[in-house]
Amino acid sequence: MSKHLLNITVNGKKHAVVVQSHERLLDVLRDRLGLKGTKEGCSTGDCGICAVLMDGKLVNSCLVFAIQARNKEIVTIEGVGTAEKLHPIQRAFMKWNASQCGYCIPAMILASKELLDRNPNPTTEEIRNATSGIICRCTGYVKIFEAIKTAAAEMRAAD
Amino acid sequence: MRIFDMFVPENLVELLQFLDAHQSGVHLIANGTDLINRMQRRQITPKLLVDLTGLNEFKYVRREGGMIRIGALTTISELVASPLIDPRYSVFKQVAMKFGGPSIINMATIGGNICAASSSEDLLPVLLVLEAQVQLRSVNGERTIPLNDFITGKRKTLLRPNEILTETSLPELDTSSTCGYEKIGMRNSLIIAFVNCAVYLKMNNQTKNIDDVRISFNRTSGKIPQRAQETENALKGKRFNEQSITDAATVLRGELKLTSDFRASEEYRTEVAGAIMKRILRSCAQKLSGEQIIV
Repeated sequence: MSKHLLNITVNGKKHAVVVQSHERLLDVLRDRLGLKGTKEGCSTGDCGICAVLMDGKLVNSCLVFAIQARNKEIVTIEGVGTAEKLHPIQRAFMKWNASQCGYCIPAMILASKELLDRNPNPTTEEIRNATSGIICRCTGYVKIFEAIKTAAAEMRAAD
Repeated sequence: MRIFDMFVPENLVELLQFLDAHQSGVHLIANGTDLINRMQRRQITPKLLVDLTGLNEFKYVRREGGMIRIGALTTISELVASPLIDPRYSVFKQVAMKFGGPSIINMATIGGNICAASSSEDLLPVLLVLEAQVQLRSVNGERTIPLNDFITGKRKTLLRPNEILTETSLPELDTSSTCGYEKIGMRNSLIIAFVNCAVYLKMNNQTKNIDDVRISFNRTSGKIPQRAQETENALKGKRFNEQSITDAATVLRGELKLTSDFRASEEYRTEVAGAIMKRILRSCAQKLSGEQIIV
């Protein structure tokens, strides 16, 4: 009962990993699969920095034991865009200088992606709600919200 | 994180038999938003966890026999997204807004919130005023208990070591009744409340007579969500107006014992409790009489 075979899809790629009971999804992503884009913050579900998409929904990867993510599809920041081909949200964050220290940005971008995928034209209030679980201690959020609005407009135009 | 084992049952029968055979030292884990937090803080150090997340049969919201039935593994997001949670149950949307960010409400389950039985759980006051019942299951069968009796103290419930909570059921609201909720904390999201309050109000629309009212608070000195029954009795049968709710707030001040900690003093919480109770009562009454709701 201390070791389990974990079948998991991360950024479209299937993985089978032997995990221990106490390993969290966050540990598997960072230490087993080498996806260091997902950051660890408070480790207690308060800051939202470690957020990833699990079956399309935003979850804190520090609050999911790896084996509980069996047969799930995970999207991390590495699955959103690449340096050569940035996602419109990533471009908009760059345009607005929405990232200062950058530590919360992977989570912010995933939260934005989750929002814009189901709601292409969100109000400021909806943007605030969608990102409310993620604490940014640098920016004051204004540029982040502007970036999300810009990304939304760009994504709508591209459709 | 301390090292522990986890049992991952394939189905309900296997789970119940395992629990029956291991009656001590086992912790149940649903989506873990509370449990993992407490493990990280070393408040608990379980040796053996039993994973409930594979039991998809307990993810549902349905209407049956005059009740709204909510499967224990239904998340807060899934609950508020259900078509059964119509405007009469907008109280759940109010709770979800204040409960936590999307990454928390996507994971936190109704059953987990109840079994955590903590005075910081935002959902419990609402379930109390809706007279929720919980259904428990073990190898020996099923039993149903009112939520009010199920939670016996801080982190204490009537759940036996070989049992799981499978469902929460709520009697359906009729058109002359409604429910409201308010939470006051340091900020609007991601925070444990200073005080939170839920109100159920049944009122005659013509006479404005209060036919029935239920009021509950969390963050009490007993560290469990509690009904304020003296205050309820002070309102029952009265006409709804500013005078009657102000009188009720005076009764509440004598009845309610709230906790005092680093977040806020008891005096401050008591002051806030009366104010938010009046605010919710007003918004419930406005909702029932079809007037515009000013919150």
